[in-house]
Amino acid sequence: MPKSRRVIEVIVNGITYEEAVEPRRLLADFLRDDLGLTGTHLGCEHGVCGACTVLVNGESVRSCLMLAVQADGADVLTVEGLAQNGKLHPLQEAFWEHHALQCGFCTPGMLLTAYELLQSGGQPDADTVRKAISGNLCRCTGYQNIVSAVQAAAARAGRA
Amino acid sequence: MKPAPFEYFDPRTPQEAVGLLQQHGEDAKILAGGQSLVPLMNMRLVRPAVLVDINRIPALAYVRAVDHTLALGALTRLHEVATSAAVRTTLPLLAEAAALVGHLAIRHRGTVGGTVAHADPASEIPAVILALEGDLIARGPSGQRSIKARDFFVGLLSTALGPGELLTEVRIPTAPAGSGSAFVEVSRRDGDFALAGAAVLLGRGEGNRCTMARIALCGVGATALRVPEAERALEAQGITDQALRDAARQVERAVDPPGDVHASAEYRRHVAGVLVTRAAKEAWQRASQGTP
Amino acid sequence: MASSTTMRTWVGKSIKRLEDPPLLAGAGRYVDDVSETGMLHAAVLRSPHAHARIQRIDTRKARALPGVLAVLTGKQAAELAGPVPAFCAEPVVQHAIAVEKARFAGEAVAAVAATDRYIAEDAADLIEVEWEPLPVVGSVEAALAAGATLVHENLGTNLVFGRTLTYGDVAGDFGRAARVVQRRLRWPRLTAVPLETAGAVAKYVPSTGRMTVWANTNMYHYSAMPLAGTLKVDPNKFTIVPVHVGGSFGSKHILSKVITIAGVLSKATGRPVKFVEDRLENLTACDSHASDRVYDAALALDDDGRFLSLKIDVVDDYGAYFQFGQTSHGNYLAQVTGPYTIASVEITLKAVLTNKCQQMVFRGAGSEVNNWMLEILVDTAARELGISPVEIRRRNFITPDQFPYRMPTGNYYDSGNYTGVLDQALTLADVEKWRREQARLRTEGRYIGIGLATCQQRSVYSATEFWFWYDKPGFPVTATPEGVTVRIGQSGQFTVSLYSPFWGNSPETVVAQVLGEEFGVDPSTVSVLYEDSLRALPAAGPGGSRLTVMLAGAVTGASRKLKDKIFKIAAHLLEVSPDDLTLADQKVSVKGVPDRALGLADIAANAHFFKMDLPKELETGLDASYTYDHPFTTKPSEDRSDLGAFYPIVSHAAHIPIVEVDVETGIVRFLDYVAVHDCGTMLNPASLDGQIAGGIAQGIGTALYEELVYDESAQLKTASFLDYLVPTASEVPVIRIGHQETPSPYTPYGLKGSGEGGRMVAPAAIASAVQDALLPLGIEVSELPLTPDRIVRWVRQARSTSPPARS
Repeated sequence: MPKSRRVIEVIVNGITYEEAVEPRRLLADFLRDDLGLTGTHLGCEHGVCGACTVLVNGESVRSCLMLAVQADGADVLTVEGLAQNGKLHPLQEAFWEHHALQCGFCTPGMLLTAYELLQSGGQPDADTVRKAISGNLCRCTGYQNIVSAVQAAAARAGRA
Repeated sequence: MKPAPFEYFDPRTPQEAVGLLQQHGEDAKILAGGQSLVPLMNMRLVRPAVLVDINRIPALAYVRAVDHTLALGALTRLHEVATSAAVRTTLPLLAEAAALVGHLAIRHRGTVGGTVAHADPASEIPAVILALEGDLIARGPSGQRSIKARDFFVGLLSTALGPGELLTEVRIPTAPAGSGSAFVEVSRRDGDFALAGAAVLLGRGEGNRCTMARIALCGVGATALRVPEAERALEAQGITDQALRDAARQVERAVDPPGDVHASAEYRRHVAGVLVTRAAKEAWQRASQGTP
Repeated sequence: MASSTTMRTWVGKSIKRLEDPPLLAGAGRYVDDVSETGMLHAAVLRSPHAHARIQRIDTRKARALPGVLAVLTGKQAAELAGPVPAFCAEPVVQHAIAVEKARFAGEAVAAVAATDRYIAEDAADLIEVEWEPLPVVGSVEAALAAGATLVHENLGTNLVFGRTLTYGDVAGDFGRAARVVQRRLRWPRLTAVPLETAGAVAKYVPSTGRMTVWANTNMYHYSAMPLAGTLKVDPNKFTIVPVHVGGSFGSKHILSKVITIAGVLSKATGRPVKFVEDRLENLTACDSHASDRVYDAALALDDDGRFLSLKIDVVDDYGAYFQFGQTSHGNYLAQVTGPYTIASVEITLKAVLTNKCQQMVFRGAGSEVNNWMLEILVDTAARELGISPVEIRRRNFITPDQFPYRMPTGNYYDSGNYTGVLDQALTLADVEKWRREQARLRTEGRYIGIGLATCQQRSVYSATEFWFWYDKPGFPVTATPEGVTVRIGQSGQFTVSLYSPFWGNSPETVVAQVLGEEFGVDPSTVSVLYEDSLRALPAAGPGGSRLTVMLAGAVTGASRKLKDKIFKIAAHLLEVSPDDLTLADQKVSVKGVPDRALGLADIAANAHFFKMDLPKELETGLDASYTYDHPFTTKPSEDRSDLGAFYPIVSHAAHIPIVEVDVETGIVRFLDYVAVHDCGTMLNPASLDGQIAGGIAQGIGTALYEELVYDESAQLKTASFLDYLVPTASEVPVIRIGHQETPSPYTPYGLKGSGEGGRMVAPAAIASAVQDALLPLGIEVSELPLTPDRIVRWVRQARSTSPPARS
């Protein structure tokens, strides 16, 4: 049985980490267990629920479907990287104001998906937001408060 | 659900990749986007002893106009396929279908080559490549060869790729002037695999003649398939209600769909005809607008 | 006692939740985030067979794998732990790891503890099992057939429970009826699918005999003692520590399997062990599949369309175990006759065991099924009598002057105004406009449907529902407590200890708002803690839409005690009688003399530091505990002819979905969705709306997308998220929510429970809408989910035959 580990270097939320990992180690487990960044959650491990969504080099991915070794040299953003110095990101503020979470388990993945959507600027309409978050399952909220929150965050960014 | 152990390689050139495939034979599987393979590995339904990760081969990612075709490197991400200006203007059917695959996070990683080589019968891309009569370029121990789409999808999840062969490019003739296309599918939820899907390309000529009809389906057989009898019905009669009914009937006769928890064979057979009708109407409208 | 017109400061405000900031920041602590020094990870080997005897298990290769510290078979685990606790009276024995045979595909047969989950799964792959396959009991029919193989040999039958309960003169009422409407209906097996699966970390310390468990169980105080018994740990050395729970919806009440598996591995290794279900395990083998029923139901009416009597014959496929007993059938007896004045009812229940995963509950706990069944009977009656669905409901609604209303089984409905809710919903939905649209679109060959469901949502359960189906229950518990401790600190700051977990609802916000109302404190300054079960006061936890009411009762109870002490101190310091004092805005002042006052902070400081200046009898400090119990419940009669009051706090809702059905593809899409809920006094309207929308989303899943499908060999065909379809944002429309507030006379502030309501009404409403759309085609809809395949099949059948096609 292959036992070789690879040393990888990954920048996560602006901090460079160097760790030795088995090739089969999933990126999600690397973030959660090796780096202690437990904000990224596992809901299915087969790429459907979106709870594990992070940004790799600015693009949303399912971290349960990537190997940690594939993130060698990459720049990763997880939910822990959104708030700055204890101050919530405007997207997080908007989720709070609009009651866009209940159990919170889908929330990190949802935030990263929304964050990516808002990177392109503009004021996405409700249908666009809905489509964008359709790859993130939520079992608690029925989604409409999440849509409102994302639109509110976009509007605030537009005014800023 | 964690994958079983494997030996891992990430070659930097296509030659290296092919060499590894030859060296490890049946033990090796190619990792492209991973959106189909990694779930199977996490569930331990597949346990390759060797994984050849081709994601670090930049030579495999490109979109290039070559004569009257568009050449897409196997590693081109589905998001690129769906949004690239070149694809949207010259192969709108492909862009339309690519946008239907899963969700954005899946399209960021999933590749056109991986999708084609995996050959899931419910997948949209093989149906489009069949409709557009593309070629698949493969590279193997004995060099490079081109395989026609109609010869490529040979059975359930199996293609004409031989042992040690790597799919390196998908090359598709661009849509002719005066043509219109549409991809219409039915799925249970947004982003799910299609229960059935229809890719239609129509040529619109003088006097509203249908100069060309290409109809391909996914989800209704072991592989994507063309329905030449339905194509002929449209080419012979034009896009009339009667012609569409004939075409739909031909489609229902031609398909031998699977049944599963999501839909019975009868449903897929019935809806295949419905989708071809809807896609043909849409394609015809787009042909007349000059917006393919 | 309060009316909704009472002026309040914090009750009724949609404040931001106290729970949100750490969850938003990714700083939640869910069970898989728990990490203990030396912790091992578990994986489980599961039976591929639905029914098979274990001839031999060889674990040598697994044990030899580097990184593996323990491998336990069911027999080995049974030396460390007994059977898991069960609510049923029958001797249906279940071990967390199967001992003699596997009774469902996916049942655990061995467990591994290793240094990481990857290695644990590698080891599980190396375990060799020799199976003797047994005949599979794959359906209720197979289970009840003569000579059927037994799922539990010791029971002598697969009919684990059967009984008829009759209330009122059912035979007479049916005899007198001008018309009887009858339907056979099929409700599919589903499961709650919270986004977080069940899991536990168990830490057994051999030198102390103590076991600490972190687990995402709901009722951790209730279930700690029985679980300690299972794990053979002294109850006062066994504690369950609460964590953030990523949703439950009824599926994480006890979690005996994950806790026992983690526990035995911890005992075997002497180290902490984590076991978290993966999603495949959750779908296949969790504690909690839900109702799986076939109904033969009949409604008797007079010739004015008035409902006289209801007769229900229901068969429920419980799977391989009976852990929760027939609780999901006790549940709906609280509201079996709905919001209607139906005088008599008879229920014949058959609970059947098969080789499938066991049942527990899913939001609605069996009452959502009854609601769906009853609304179908009502709509069928309306059609047969030529009365509109709205009119037939008006004729049969309980009227406001009839409350508190005793319904036939003995339960009460505390208050309500059902016509008010219906009228509001009809206006909000503009049903008139949609009827015109419907007629117009039919001429274009398009089919839209207008649905209506008017349903009860009972809240705040009494423990009697767990056992009153039995004449001789094993353990007739009658306590449904909820304790809290409120502390006012040295500088007047508020801290609350809770003894039930956060599971997606808003317990911190609830207690903070109530304290705000009681003391004038800003809710956002209240600090809330969760205590483990050994430190806990009795608490039954979330479930049955109880927690908001129960926490409000507990906090107001503790507040009374605190105010008593506060007034005594203030009276002593101000040299007045306590009766001369009043409390508002965190200040105690003499009535009519506002300048003679002491701030709460001052009083607190005195209470904590200046003993010698306090009344002699008072202890130092300022804290109070209060364990609230059910505000209105009574025992059932011995013969069960009166079940007593067991769920008398009853909310009500009317849903009106508008759908379009594409009859060529079978796809259903929403054009609008209106929901008007009356949950008594609203504590936090935004939070309530979130519960309603979320419940409706689950109801949409139930009506259109979700189903656990077993094949003839009782293999689960929908064992991953690719096949068990949870609605995404694209499948759920905007829900337009309206409110009415008819307070409860029995609860603090007149609050009623509301958490389950959306899902309790939506399946009935959506089924009604699709039925309405397909009516012109002569189709009658009798099952769920309403998949494209089913709809197209019914449409094609209907078009090819002249008599109406029943599904």
